[in-house]
Amino acid sequence: MLVWFLPLFLLFLMIGLPVFFGLLAAPGILLWLNGQERELSLLYRNVYNGMDSFPLMAIPFFMLAGELMNRGGITERLVEFSQAMMGHLRGGLAHVNVLSSMLFAGLSGSAVADTSALGSMLIPAMEKEGYTRRFAAAITAASSVIGPIIPPSGIMIIYAYVMGESVAALFLAGIVPGILVGVGLMLMIKLMANRYDFPISRQRATWSEKGEASLKAFFPLLTPVIILGGILGGVFTPTEAAAVAVAYSILIGMFVLKTLRLRDMPEVLMRSGMTSAVVLLLVGAAMAFKTVVSLSHAPEQLAEFILSLSQNPLVLLFLINLLLFIVGMFLDAGPAIIILGPILGPIFTSLGIDPIHFAIIMSVNLTVGLATPPMGLVLFVASSVSGEKVETIAKAILPFLLVEIIVIFLITFIPEISMTIPRLTGFAD
Amino acid sequence: MAALLALLRPLQAVNDVVLRFGKAFATLAVALMVLAILLQVFMRYVLNNALPWPEEAARFLMLWMTGLIAPLAYRRGGFVAIDMLESALPRPLASLLSLALLAVSLLVLVVATQLGYKHVFSGCLFKSSTLWLPFTFKFSLPIPLTGLDLTLCTRQTGISFEWGWAKMPLALSFLSLWVGVWLLLLVNIELILRSIVTMAGGGDRLRPQMDADLPVGAD
Repeated sequence: MLVWFLPLFLLFLMIGLPVFFGLLAAPGILLWLNGQERELSLLYRNVYNGMDSFPLMAIPFFMLAGELMNRGGITERLVEFSQAMMGHLRGGLAHVNVLSSMLFAGLSGSAVADTSALGSMLIPAMEKEGYTRRFAAAITAASSVIGPIIPPSGIMIIYAYVMGESVAALFLAGIVPGILVGVGLMLMIKLMANRYDFPISRQRATWSEKGEASLKAFFPLLTPVIILGGILGGVFTPTEAAAVAVAYSILIGMFVLKTLRLRDMPEVLMRSGMTSAVVLLLVGAAMAFKTVVSLSHAPEQLAEFILSLSQNPLVLLFLINLLLFIVGMFLDAGPAIIILGPILGPIFTSLGIDPIHFAIIMSVNLTVGLATPPMGLVLFVASSVSGEKVETIAKAILPFLLVEIIVIFLITFIPEISMTIPRLTGFAD
Repeated sequence: MAALLALLRPLQAVNDVVLRFGKAFATLAVALMVLAILLQVFMRYVLNNALPWPEEAARFLMLWMTGLIAPLAYRRGGFVAIDMLESALPRPLASLLSLALLAVSLLVLVVATQLGYKHVFSGCLFKSSTLWLPFTFKFSLPIPLTGLDLTLCTRQTGISFEWGWAKMPLALSFLSLWVGVWLLLLVNIELILRSIVTMAGGGDRLRPQMDADLPVGAD
């Protein structure tokens, strides 16, 4: 009986009930029908316990740090730096777009922030140089999914918390896959650049110009070093690292770059508070949902079903990638991870897949889903930043999606891509 | 219609005031959370003297931040949902569906207010391990006509207040979610009234809904 909460939840989701209410209504209704009213207070209590967590506090902090850096003109420094490094190539600004996304990913953990920050700068600039607007919007959206793959990453903080993994291990495991996505996109741009005769943005920068741009980008680029170095060195926890990142971005925004004003602060604080409140409630509801998942024996039945399809982990991983990709088309990465992690994670761990490897497969796949139609958050943002229609961007993004799908398969079938750095640093075995 | 609007307007006004307060509190709370954690790092590494309380204080603030500002996000349409079906349906069906969805949410919230009451009360038994208050405060007041009591940590009718440091009861943390649920309920009722008014053809007499101008989630 209880096992029906999953189809009921999916039904609620498809007809448009907010995920937060769906996560509580579906198991709640079935517990009630099942005469297990007592368990309802367990459901409520676990929403609270799910939110009452120190590791989760990294979410508002990293959001805040990202927003502060954006306001503080740090994005511009990163783009200037990328220009100096790659602007002279054919398709220069397209490459700059990808490289800036990779650098921005080291400061922020959000693809949406990446699209809106870089898109509002680079899309007009690319148009001016003769790229079509849909191409500019597409490459911005496609490259922004690197944001949550390269650490820090909001999605990985959530995954680590919901599944009881180490945030540091997930952060480390995301580095190479993120770079791989970036390099793959650049290769695709190179292919297209020769074929469609993309413009060259500028002359090759001289060493002194490169030096100057690096110097100007030095403080922003130090952020990921502080965050990762601090976490790896055992100096601070991810949450503390996030708080330090906030302080650091205020310091450079106000005193080094002098672009951040005190009167901007309340708005920035409020926005990061509001967006993270929504996420926190979702995580709380997901933790409550998770208790019912285990009460219901749904994972066992689902595992049985999945294993009846095939016993070969490679085939199953392929199928799961398909499933995740489809889910990613309809659902944002955070909620999808919250819902599917507890159900799928244990099945694949029992098949001998390393939990950290599986976390990366899920995170990368669902993050790419942010850029797939019909429900791609990043597509929507790219559309509102550029003024181009979502459908048009969705078509122009196809070559880049192809690259990202190839990367997903590489990550899935070559565990070393994600696992080498965490293993070398002792965060995974 | 007039009756509906007469119900909606005061509720809207109450929500405006309460949520404005929530917004201000959440803004302050985020700032204090950062400061508390920075202080913790500073004390531990620079002064080599780890403080016990900043972590719990920051969690306390985060919970209240969530409880007080999430309802505002809900009001602005910031709760993640797949709205493809609704936008694909013809107008009358779509408004019926949205009303039905609001009703399901209402059910969840009403049950949650009941469960939350018990949860908060259970928090009176447990004390925070690191947070102290300079007073002890309990009350139990009957709510007229309902047979219910508005209580905090006592069943004895009346208000008791004593000075003196005491460990904070966890009920004060638990209260954050319960208050959040109540505020979500108020917003939900506001949304239901709006939706009924719109269905009855009075959409032009509503004030425009606030913009969902927020990037959703951690994505």
